[in-house]
Amino acid sequence: MDMLTIKNLKKNFKDKEVLKGLDLCVPEKSIFGFIGKNGAGKTTTMKTVLGLMKPDEGEITVAGKKVVFGQTSTNRYIGYLPDVPEYYSFMNASEYLRFCGDITGLSKEETKKRSEELLELVGLKDEKHRIKGFSRGMKQRLGIAQALLNKPKLLICDEPTSALDPVGRKEILDILLAVKDETTVLFSTHILSDVERICTDIAFLNEGRVVIQGKLGEIKSTYRTDEYIIETETEKEVAILKSSFPHLQLTGRTTLTFKENQHDFYDVMHFITTNKLPVLKIERVEPTLESMFMEVVQK
Amino acid sequence: MKSFINFTKKEYMEHFRCAKIFILTGVFILLAVMSPLVAKFTPVIIEMLSESMSQGGMEITVSEVSAMDSWMQFFKNAPIALIVFVLLESNIFTKEYQKGTLVLALTKGLKRHTVLLSKAFVMITLWTAEFFMYYGLVYLMNDIIWDNSVAENLTFSAVCWWAFGLMILCLCVLFSVIAKTNIVVLAGTGGVVFASYLVGMLPKIDRFMPTLLMNVNSLIYALEEVSYYVPALLIAGGISVLSLVLSIPIFNKKHI
Repeated sequence: MDMLTIKNLKKNFKDKEVLKGLDLCVPEKSIFGFIGKNGAGKTTTMKTVLGLMKPDEGEITVAGKKVVFGQTSTNRYIGYLPDVPEYYSFMNASEYLRFCGDITGLSKEETKKRSEELLELVGLKDEKHRIKGFSRGMKQRLGIAQALLNKPKLLICDEPTSALDPVGRKEILDILLAVKDETTVLFSTHILSDVERICTDIAFLNEGRVVIQGKLGEIKSTYRTDEYIIETETEKEVAILKSSFPHLQLTGRTTLTFKENQHDFYDVMHFITTNKLPVLKIERVEPTLESMFMEVVQK
Repeated sequence: MKSFINFTKKEYMEHFRCAKIFILTGVFILLAVMSPLVAKFTPVIIEMLSESMSQGGMEITVSEVSAMDSWMQFFKNAPIALIVFVLLESNIFTKEYQKGTLVLALTKGLKRHTVLLSKAFVMITLWTAEFFMYYGLVYLMNDIIWDNSVAENLTFSAVCWWAFGLMILCLCVLFSVIAKTNIVVLAGTGGVVFASYLVGMLPKIDRFMPTLLMNVNSLIYALEEVSYYVPALLIAGGISVLSLVLSIPIFNKKHI
């Protein structure tokens, strides 16, 4: 079942067409990376899902229920962490969670129990200071705690790691990984290493449209190139290989590359073993998200 | 109802922790104390001045001071109290838009009209408590120093002023859901008051203008009947209710 579906979403800001018919399906219990450049329309999409912004066209459903702008009853299924979460800074972390629990309609006991669990999870259990003095990382962690308070079916995080240092980023990613059994996670980002670390599914957003979408592994294998790299010990082996396989390309002093359609990989391997050529490395080039992203963006 | 109470609790907590409530109470107490003090000491100051002036040939006679002078001062200070109140409270919505603090609350399923009614409720209850504390203090001091019986229709006059303030606050709510910044809220509310004041200068229409409620001297001197003020009072009440009712659909469609 899909936790979130978006069909043909369009949104203009004056003359600027931000979303040009976006389609997206977020499967249940996935960690979904929503990838796009700055200004690609990630935040606009998320705000529309939350009913905070009115789309010009299109339909959104959350847990099978249609999202209606202004009257956001579907928000009871959603936990939301904005890119820069803002809180009532005169409260401390547990007071803020109590406030959230109260307005969400959780019972006092439930709010207390859940707040303690979540503050422990995000490492703010012993923090008694008011939010006014919190660092960015602490605010993001509190943001995840408040978003998970009412056990949402869908957790939406808008660039949760963008403004954080490496330690803060790791903490947030670890928390998102830890909650994946409880909820479906949709998070937008342009930090591709974060996506590779935790995501099960991804979608690339470019110029207001989703251009690639699916399981991370499947997408990677679709985009897998048939390129190989051979690194030999000395230049002598390079010359021997080049004489037998003329399409091998020299990319370094002792590095050669070739594609599957130029020479058969097993023929090359066979030649190396029968001639006992000393090689340092034979590698099939793995596609990186970055190379895929660049390819998609430049298309 | 539960979320209304909880959001209202948050609003009051904010007023206490950000010291707004203490500033407001301080200002209202100061203004209350000033009313009888100014009335009491103005003649003393004038008398001191008159001694030096009489040497120059000018003679000043000081009339007997009564509670009436203090009440006049009370109504003269009331606009200051209202302006301070509006200046401190006019950002009750816009501050949340600018900081983005409402986003999380709304995405938790909090209804927009709950936010609006809660904020309006907090402003109205605070204004009511502060204004009648101001009135009560002056009443008490005047009664101790002089005698309040010289002034007529005191409570009704105070209610007129309170209702005028209430209307201003409801207009503030309306402009807060239309505008994004505090300046526009203040300019919009001020603009409506100014327009009402200008229209009030026209004869015959003046008694229907809410700005009449600011001018209650003729009530305490019993120069006018209470009934003369009733239409303006009802219109102010009508504008207050209308402002709140209009605010709800506008707020529901606001991009936050």
